[in-house]
Amino acid sequence: MSRPDYAEISVEHLTKQYAKVRAVDDLSFTVRSGRVTGFLGPNGAGKTTALRMILGLVTPTAGTATIGGVRYVDLTDPIRHVGAVLEASSAHRGRSARNHLRVICRAAGLPDQRADEVLHMVGLNTVGTRKFKGYSLGMKQRLGIAAAMLGDPRVLILDEPTNGLDPEGIRWMRDLLKALAAEGRTVLVSSHLLGEMQLLADDVVIIAAGRLIRQGPVDEVLGATAGAARVRVRAPEADRLATALRDAHLEVAVSPDGSLQVTGAEPARVGHLAFAAGIELHELTGESADLERAFLELTAGKAGAR
Amino acid sequence: MNLFRAELLKLRTTSLWWIFAIILVPLWGVALAYNWLAVEVSFSSPEANMENVGFGSLETVVSGLYTCGQFGGVLLVVLLSAILITSEFFHLTATSTFLTTPRRELVVIAKMATAVVIALTVWLFTTLLNLAAAPLVLSTVDKPSYLGETFVWQAIGLNALAFVLWALLGVGAGVLIRSQIGATITLSVLYVVGTQILTIVFTVLSQTVWEPLMGLRVLVPTLASELLITGPMLPDDPPRWVGGLILLGYAAVTAVLGTLITRRRDVS
Repeated sequence: MSRPDYAEISVEHLTKQYAKVRAVDDLSFTVRSGRVTGFLGPNGAGKTTALRMILGLVTPTAGTATIGGVRYVDLTDPIRHVGAVLEASSAHRGRSARNHLRVICRAAGLPDQRADEVLHMVGLNTVGTRKFKGYSLGMKQRLGIAAAMLGDPRVLILDEPTNGLDPEGIRWMRDLLKALAAEGRTVLVSSHLLGEMQLLADDVVIIAAGRLIRQGPVDEVLGATAGAARVRVRAPEADRLATALRDAHLEVAVSPDGSLQVTGAEPARVGHLAFAAGIELHELTGESADLERAFLELTAGKAGAR
Repeated sequence: MNLFRAELLKLRTTSLWWIFAIILVPLWGVALAYNWLAVEVSFSSPEANMENVGFGSLETVVSGLYTCGQFGGVLLVVLLSAILITSEFFHLTATSTFLTTPRRELVVIAKMATAVVIALTVWLFTTLLNLAAAPLVLSTVDKPSYLGETFVWQAIGLNALAFVLWALLGVGAGVLIRSQIGATITLSVLYVVGTQILTIVFTVLSQTVWEPLMGLRVLVPTLASELLITGPMLPDDPPRWVGGLILLGYAAVTAVLGTLITRRRDVS
C-alpha cells in the first residue's frame, strides 16, 4: 500500500441539497500537493458551497471531504494544517487587523508574534493597527491571506482571492500561491477569472450546476477540448480565400467583421494556401487554445439547467 | 482556556465594552435615586408600619438599596452576552471563528464563560458603588447601614446569581435570534416593557379567569429574578428559590438549544 498524501484533498460523492436547489451534486475530485489547482465554474456552480463543505462549515447532505484522509472537523489544531480564505470582509469592522489576527492566535494557541509575522509577509505591517473598516478590498484580501498563513498550513483553500485586487495585487497573489505550491503545499483556489487561472493553475477542476465537468492538468483539459488549432485570417478578397481554403478541406467561418476563422490548420498552412492561390493577406493570426474557450465549451448549457 | 482568552481579547479589542460601561453609570445613578426615594418614603413617615415581608418592608427597601443598578446592569449584561454571539454573524467573523475551532460547542461554552465574567464584573462594580452609597443614603434618615444583617448579604449574593443566570440566558438568546438588531431589540423590549405588559396580562387574567394565575407571573424571567432577589411580594407568591430555579431553567434551555443549533447550522 502506498503512503497516503498527507496534504491531499479528497472529495467523494459530495452532495448538498438545499430546499429547492441541489447546490453540489455527487461531486468527486482530488487535489494534489505541490501544485496549484484551479477550481472553476460559472457563478452559482456550487464552488463556494463545495469549499465550505470541505472546511466543515456546511454539512454535506451526502458524501465526504477529507484532507490527508481526515475530515476538517476531526483535525486537531486545524489552522496549523489548513489555511482558508473565504470572504474578504470577515473581520469585525471596529477591530484592528493585528488584533483580528491575535484573536485567532489565542484561539489556536499560537504565539501572538505570528500576527506580526504574517502581516509583514503580506505587506500590511505598516497598517496593522488600523481598524478593519478603513481597509480597501485589496487590503482585506491580503489580510485574509495573512490569517490563512498564521498556522503555516500545508494546505491552502482560497475562494476567489483575486476579487478586488488591482493588477499588481493579482500578480502578487499569483507569485505567492505559486511559491507556496512550490514549497510542496496543496493550493486549491476557486475563480471565474479564467485568464488568471491559466497563468496560475497547474491542474483544474471544472464544475457546473454542482457537478464535475472535468478534472486534470490545464494542458490536458485544453488539449482535449480546444480540438484543432484555429487561425484568424483577413484578406481583401475574402470570398476567394474562403473558397480556396474550403477546397483544401478546411473549415471556414466568416466573422461579422469580415475576417475568416479557419479551423484545422496551422497559420503556415493557411498562408501557404493563400500564397499558392495568389491572394493578398492583411492579417494572419494563430489563436492558441485558451482556458476561457475550453471552459465556455465545457459548461455551455449546463449553467442554465438549474 | 485558549478559546476563553480569545473571547476576552475579542471583547477588549472593540469599543463596545466601554460604551456599555459608560451607559451603566447613569443607569446606576437613576436606580440609586429611585431607591433613595423608596427609603425616604418608607422610613420618614411617622406611622411607618414596617412589615417583615412584602412590598415596602424594611428588608425589601434596604435590599433594593444594596442591589442598585440591577435592572439596568442586567439589561446591559444580557445585551452584551447576546452580542457576543450575534456579532460573529453580523461581522461575518463566524467563518474565521469556526475554522479555527470546528468544535462549535466549545466556542459557545467559551462565550458563556466570557458572559459570566462580564456579569460578575458588572455585579462587582455596582455592588462596590452600592456599598459606598447605601450607608450614606440610610444615614440621611438616621438609619444604620444594616451591613451586619444577613439579609443584605443574601440580597447581594443572589444579585450576583441573577446577573450570571441572565448572562447565560443572553448567550442562548443570541444563538436563537442570530440577527444582531433582532436580538437586541427583542431582548430590550421583552426586558423593559415586557415585564410591565405581562404583569398587566397576568393581573387581568387572574381577575377575570382564575385567580391563582397571578402566581404564574413569576414565570416571566424578569419577575422571576425579582422574586429571587427581593423575595415574595404577595402573600401567595412562591419562595425565592423558585425564582432562581425558573431563571436557571430559561438559561439552561436557551443555552442547550442554542448550542445544539450552532453545532448543526451551516455557516455561509
